[in-house]
Amino acid sequence: MVSSFWFLLDILGTANHSKQTFGVAAFENRFNDFPKTVQPHTVYGYLSDTPANDPSALAEFHLTQYVLAPAIIRPSTRENLVIVNYHSKDLDMKLLATNHLRPFRNIGNGVALCRSDKP
Amino acid sequence: MMLLLWLAAIWLAGFGVVRWMFPQPLRWSLHNIFLFSLGIGAGAGIASCLYFLTLVLAGATFSLLPAAGGVALVVALALFLFARKSALLDWAEGPAVPRYLTALFVVAAALGLIMFLGAVAYNPHGEEGAWSIWNMKARFLFRAGAFWRDAFSSDLGFTHPDYPLLLPGLVALCWKLAGQESTNAPVAIAFLFLLGTAGVLVSALGVLRGKTPALLAGTLLLGSASFVALSAALYADVPLSFYILATLALLCLQDRHPEDMRFTALAGLMAGFAAWSRNEGIIFLLAVIVARAIALIRFGERKLLVPQFLRLLLGLAAPLGVVTFFKLRIGGLGDWIAVPASTLLHHLSEPARWIVLLEGLVIILFNFGRFLIPIFLALGLYWYLVRFRTLVGTGMDTRDRAGLATAAIALALTLGVQLVVDVLYLDNLALEIGTSFERIMLQLWPGALLAFFLASAPLQLIAPKLQEKGTKEKRAHKGARRVAETR
Repeated sequence: MVSSFWFLLDILGTANHSKQTFGVAAFENRFNDFPKTVQPHTVYGYLSDTPANDPSALAEFHLTQYVLAPAIIRPSTRENLVIVNYHSKDLDMKLLATNHLRPFRNIGNGVALCRSDKP
Repeated sequence: MMLLLWLAAIWLAGFGVVRWMFPQPLRWSLHNIFLFSLGIGAGAGIASCLYFLTLVLAGATFSLLPAAGGVALVVALALFLFARKSALLDWAEGPAVPRYLTALFVVAAALGLIMFLGAVAYNPHGEEGAWSIWNMKARFLFRAGAFWRDAFSSDLGFTHPDYPLLLPGLVALCWKLAGQESTNAPVAIAFLFLLGTAGVLVSALGVLRGKTPALLAGTLLLGSASFVALSAALYADVPLSFYILATLALLCLQDRHPEDMRFTALAGLMAGFAAWSRNEGIIFLLAVIVARAIALIRFGERKLLVPQFLRLLLGLAAPLGVVTFFKLRIGGLGDWIAVPASTLLHHLSEPARWIVLLEGLVIILFNFGRFLIPIFLALGLYWYLVRFRTLVGTGMDTRDRAGLATAAIALALTLGVQLVVDVLYLDNLALEIGTSFERIMLQLWPGALLAFFLASAPLQLIAPKLQEKGTKEKRAHKGARRVAETR
C-alpha cells in the first residue's frame, strides 16, 4: 500500500513539475500545420539541428515518424522532400547549405520542409 | 464512445466463447468472474487474429469489417444458448476471511485504479517503447490503407517488424470499427488486461485454494506499483502476463477436473495468444509444452499425456498458425537470425557477461515491483510461517502437484531461456538488463503469484471457532477438576 502511495506521489510530482515540452502531445502540436494530406507510402528525408550524440535526437526522429505515419521518414537528406526539425529561433541556412537543401515551405513551430539538391 | 462500445463487444464475444465451453447459469458467481476475466483475453486474441487474417486475405479497404464484426459478435453471443455440461468452479473450502483482508484488497484495487488513471492521464500515448513500437504499428495498420505492409518496412527497423501483432492489431481494429483514431483504445485495452489479470488470478486461486490466498494474491498483484505502471505504459507485457497466467491457471484447473479436457484446449488457445502478443510468448509456449510433459510424467497420470497434448495442440493450432504465417511472410524472423555463430560463442564464453547477468538478478531481487520492502523477504517470511502450519496439520492437495509443477517449470524455463537469450544476443547487456530486466520478470509475476499461493498451505488468519472450542474444553476441564476435588 505504501509503495502504491509512493508511486502515486511520484506521478503527481512529475505531472506538476514538467512542462511537457517533449513528448507525443508536444510533437503533435509542432506538426499541427504540416500538410494534412500525408499520403501512405510517401517517403520524407529528415534532418535535425540536434547533435547526433544527444539522446533526444533519436527520440525526436521516432516522434516525427510516429506523428507523420503512414509516411515513412528516413534519416537522410537525399530524399526529394526533407523535413527539417530545428530548435533555434530561425532556420539555420548554413545547416541547409551543408546538406544541399533549400527551403521549400516553413511549417512553423520549428519544422520546415526542404527540397534536396542531390536527390 | 463507439470505440469503447466495440471494445466491450469484443470482450463480450470472448466471454461468449469461453462461456460456451464452460456454461453455468448467468449470475454473480466465481465461475462467471473467472470466465468474464478470461473473456477479455479470449476476445482480444480472437479479434486480433481475425483482423490480421482479414488484412491479409481481403485487404485493408474491406468495407464489410463492421458488418463482419457484428456477425461475429452475434455468433459468439448465440453460443450462450448452447447448454453443455461443465464443471462448476466455486470457492474452495477454507477458513473465514478476516474483514481487514477484504478491505486491503479493495484499497489495493482502488489504488491500482487511481495509479493507472493518473499515469495514463499524464501520458495517454504511453511510454516511448509503446508509441514507437506498438502504437506506431497500429497507426500504420489503420492509416496506411492498402499500404499497411509499410508497417514492416526495413526503414522502420526500430519498431521491430518481427514483433507479433496482437496489441497493434486490436488497437487498429477498434479504430477501424469506430471509424476514428483515439488514445482511448490502447488505454482501455491496457486497463481491461490489467483487470483481467487480477480477475483470473483471484478467481483461479479462489477455486484452487480459497478466498484468503486469492485475496492476498490479488492485493499483492494490484499493490505492485511496477505492474500497474507497466500496464499504464501501454506495452504488450501485461497482455502477455495475462496469457501466461491464464494458461497456467487453466492447466491447474485441468488437474482438478481430469475428465473435462476443455480446460487444456482453452489453455492451448491462451498459450497461442501469448505467442501472438510478444516474442517472449513463443518462449513461454515452448516452455509450457515441455513443463506439462515433465509434470504429467513425474506427478500426474501418464495415460493423460496423449489426450491432454492433443487438446493442447488443438487449442493452440489456430493462433500458432497465424504467428507462423506472420513470421514467415510479413514480419520476418527478427535480427537474431543474422547473428553469426562465432559472436554467440564469444558472448557465451565471456565470464563478464554472466557476472553482469548475476548482478542484475541480485539487484532486481531487491528492487522488484517498487516495493518499499523487498518482496522476496516478505514472501519468504510468509512461506516460512505457512510451511510451519503445514507441519502442524494441513498439507498440499495432491491433485495440484502436476499443475504446480507445470507452472513452476514453465516459469523457470521461460525466465532461464530469456536470460540465456539476453547473454547470447544483446550487445550492451548491462544497459539492457538495467532497463528491461524488471519488465521480463513482471511478465511472469502473476503466474509466479499463482504458483506461490498454490504451493503454500491453506492459511487461517483468524480462528474464532478453534478458540471457542479451546475455551470450552478448558472450562470443561476446570469443571471436571472441581468435581473431582469436591469428591
